[in-house]
Amino acid sequence: MKKKKKSFPKKPALVLTAAALLLVGSTVGSTRAALTYYSENYSAQMNMQSIGVSLLENDKVVSSRDYVSNNEWKGTSEGTLLTNLLGKDETFTPGKKYNEAISVKNSGTIDTFVRVIITKSWQDEEGKKNTELSPELIELNFLTDNGWQVADAQSTKERTVLYYTKAVAAGDTTPALSDTLRINPSIASDVTKHVTESEKGKTITYTYKYNGYTFHIDAEVDAVQTHNAKDAIKSAWGVDVNVSDDETTMSLQ
Amino acid sequence: MRKLHKKPLIMAAATLALTGTLAVGSAMAYFTTYSTAGGGVKMNMGFTETVPKEEVDENGKHITIKNTGDYDCFVRVKAFAPVELTYNAPDGGWTAGDEGYWYYDDVLPAGKTTEQELNITYKFPEGDDKPEEFNIVVIQECTPVLYDEDGNPYADWNHVITDDSTQTTE
Repeated sequence: MKKKKKSFPKKPALVLTAAALLLVGSTVGSTRAALTYYSENYSAQMNMQSIGVSLLENDKVVSSRDYVSNNEWKGTSEGTLLTNLLGKDETFTPGKKYNEAISVKNSGTIDTFVRVIITKSWQDEEGKKNTELSPELIELNFLTDNGWQVADAQSTKERTVLYYTKAVAAGDTTPALSDTLRINPSIASDVTKHVTESEKGKTITYTYKYNGYTFHIDAEVDAVQTHNAKDAIKSAWGVDVNVSDDETTMSLQ
Repeated sequence: MRKLHKKPLIMAAATLALTGTLAVGSAMAYFTTYSTAGGGVKMNMGFTETVPKEEVDENGKHITIKNTGDYDCFVRVKAFAPVELTYNAPDGGWTAGDEGYWYYDDVLPAGKTTEQELNITYKFPEGDDKPEEFNIVVIQECTPVLYDEDGNPYADWNHVITDDSTQTTE
């Protein structure tokens, strides 16, 4: 008896092959999709790494410079200080303390270390700097028991450099580095005496040396990434600092 | 065929590698940013001017002082006469102080007049040698308002504007 050879059914084989191919194809498809998904996510994370800093005067932002993308920055990096120092129709009085709280906000999305450079000067009515009048008489009262530290070696009579020794987390604001501003009342003693005599009697008048001069305060805030901060600060600011291992605090050398 | 020299090739390769390193360096630049702000206030300082107003009646001189200048100030008054003078402030507001002056208690704002008057009375001499007339010279001084560290106003009487007026009385 001749054994009948079983013939392999062609149709199911074709269908099975097609199914297998489709299955493989779908797997590849999903792998591709996954790759695309991660790729986009990674790209988005890169964009989130943006640095930003804002300078605050009495809790109001006066200037800022935040990275957006592709070398684009947003914010006004040149702001104005002391605009609200005096009330309406108020004249500035030597010796009187005015509120002047300067602080720094991390307006970026990465943690930063920050420093502020304060420069004080006197200018005449034409806006020219006068170097004879003492910038020491412009007394911005610095607060240094809250994390701010004055870098004495980098400071002069005219310029004060302050470092915030803690990392500023994204969105956080530092404590104020100053609280009050006043002009030393000794400028009221710097007077020239004039005596005029008339029939009615003797009249004595004085002229203030500082009258008509403008005192100026300029503030610059610098921010740098906390990652690899020691090298980053040396590179950006040219200053040697010690940074803790967890990159949350720094100190001047 | 010309043989290719090895040294220039190596140099070229080294240059290329070094240039590449430079490019890597700049690509590794750190994230930094900065922001600035500045401003100033003009020192509008000046001494002010005060004008005394004197009314004379049988009780003596009644003095008020007007600040006609642009700045707030403190004022003080003293009078000289060959007869004995007595000061009093019937409504208050004036206090006797150093150097024989009477001081107005409050800051006298620019454009304002002292709210209370200072009275200076005299006792007319009696007897044969009494003068027919004599002068009472009133000296009034003002000094700008200064502020101490706590923002409290104070006067520095080392720098004053002096104005004396003479009025004859019988």
